[in-house]
Amino acid sequence: MVPGSLTEEGAVALLDSKTRDEPLMRLEDIHVSYPVAGGPPKKVLNGIDLTFERGQFVSVVGRTGCGKSTLLRLVLGAEMPTEGRVIVGGREVLRPDRDRGYVPQKYSLFPDKTVLGNITFGLEVEEFSLLTSLTPRFYRRRREFRAEALRQLRHMGLQDCDAGKYPDQLSGGMQQRVAIAQALVMKPKVLLMDEAFSALDPGTRAAMQRLIREVWKETKTTVLFVTHNIDEAVRLGTRVIVLAKECATGAEGSRVALDVAVPDADERLSKARFAEEIAGVVRRVEEATGHLRGEEEDIVP
Amino acid sequence: MSLLNISARPSRLTCWILSWVLFATGISLYFYTAQRRHKENPDDRVVPTLGQLAAGIYQASMHPDGDEEQQPDNAAQSAIQRFRNGMLWKDTVASSRRFLYGLALLFPAVLLGLHMGIFPYFGVFFLRFILFFDKIIALSVLPILFIAFGIDELSKVMLIVIGVTPTIILDTFNLSKSVPPEQLVKGFTLGASDFDVAYRVVLKQIWPRVLNSIRLNLKPLMLFLFAGEMIASTDGLAYRIALLRRHMGMNIIIPYVLWVALLLFLVDLTMRLLNKKLHPWFREA
Repeated sequence: MVPGSLTEEGAVALLDSKTRDEPLMRLEDIHVSYPVAGGPPKKVLNGIDLTFERGQFVSVVGRTGCGKSTLLRLVLGAEMPTEGRVIVGGREVLRPDRDRGYVPQKYSLFPDKTVLGNITFGLEVEEFSLLTSLTPRFYRRRREFRAEALRQLRHMGLQDCDAGKYPDQLSGGMQQRVAIAQALVMKPKVLLMDEAFSALDPGTRAAMQRLIREVWKETKTTVLFVTHNIDEAVRLGTRVIVLAKECATGAEGSRVALDVAVPDADERLSKARFAEEIAGVVRRVEEATGHLRGEEEDIVP
Repeated sequence: MSLLNISARPSRLTCWILSWVLFATGISLYFYTAQRRHKENPDDRVVPTLGQLAAGIYQASMHPDGDEEQQPDNAAQSAIQRFRNGMLWKDTVASSRRFLYGLALLFPAVLLGLHMGIFPYFGVFFLRFILFFDKIIALSVLPILFIAFGIDELSKVMLIVIGVTPTIILDTFNLSKSVPPEQLVKGFTLGASDFDVAYRVVLKQIWPRVLNSIRLNLKPLMLFLFAGEMIASTDGLAYRIALLRRHMGMNIIIPYVLWVALLLFLVDLTMRLLNKKLHPWFREA
């Protein structure tokens, strides 16, 4: 071995310590355009530069069509930027993988699998290929996967009797609880939620908001939460990003109109001071969305 | 009570009675016609009476093919042995064998359709060709098949391949494409590989619909099988029907036609029940 050169373990440890110091995610000068038949491409995102630290709960808010779901899909790897790059955990994102959990608004569960099957799916495919899933070892390990899945299920406020149900036998709220459990069981670096609670009734939505906040506090998983509801964005996030088109310059495509930290209720603030700070953030977010072009109002305060 | 009322809710008994009316009418009309024709001509063979039909069924099921050598101890055989040596059983076995070959060949077609729907390069490579292939009238290439593959089993199986597989491939392709992209992305985020997503996410979701598609294509499959048997075969249900047509053997042809319909109905029912049992989550639209 050459003196002074690194062993393999040493290199991995060094890389780990380096990536630990680095921010978890970076969006570097992201531009996204879509081709339009018979016309110039339509620009959706125009020069987005963002950095996300580990353990943040980031809400992204903006009008319909401002590109917030596109932003999430870029981080997910389901879409590639026209220019720029997305880095997660020190690696450029080129396709979706197990580092990033995903909870969409619709089709969040596999309809052919039971609740338990949905949660254990990731654990099973990660360890067993199509062929090795026919071996006796798979069936032995499956018992352990199921125990882990049941633990997650209870953690999400569901009962053991729900484990054998199929997604279409569950309410919308229960489906999203299972979807969160399904994503979290893989211990992803980032949890990406795209309007995950938009289709729920107000009561269920509030319960889900409480649940995701509790889960985040416990696991400290980084969450990127896309919503069009300002109240939800501020209530959940430790940081709120507003995407909007610039009406002043008339440039096409959305940019970051506001990137603001939200005070935590746990911070040593008096109730009145906390309420005041939150109201201030809401006002700023509303202002940021209000600086948009005169489109129909679709932001829910 | 109006018969043309969209919101009508017929009772269970009414539904049962109404569903059998056309069967009862058809059977009554048939035997009425048979009776009248036999009054005019007691040797009429076009519309056999119940007695003639019964004799035909007995002959078909208990007697061997006339071309075969009569076994000397036929009378001494048990009823089951005689049935198994009878032409109905032998024809059924011969046709079923070809039918199963055809059915087995639909599974590679399903896999091809799946891969075309999931893997874009696969899709672009095959789609145009399969679309063209689908437009070929299978029966129009029958002479080519007989020349290319001979008049043995292979040509009949190839007829089924040309006739039915393009439909199954395209059906599976469309079904694969209809799986929401969120599901594919979800699969990847849970650590699945491309093949895991194809087989453990997409195929599992579309499988009940694929089975339905195969079920709905059973009749075309039988149609091509019958065409092959009628033209070039020495056994099989369609071969027998074609043969007896020359002798005006309606007393055997009619039971054969009903037997084929019953077999097809049973296969269809089995597939439907299996689909329901194996995929309790599946609700037909």
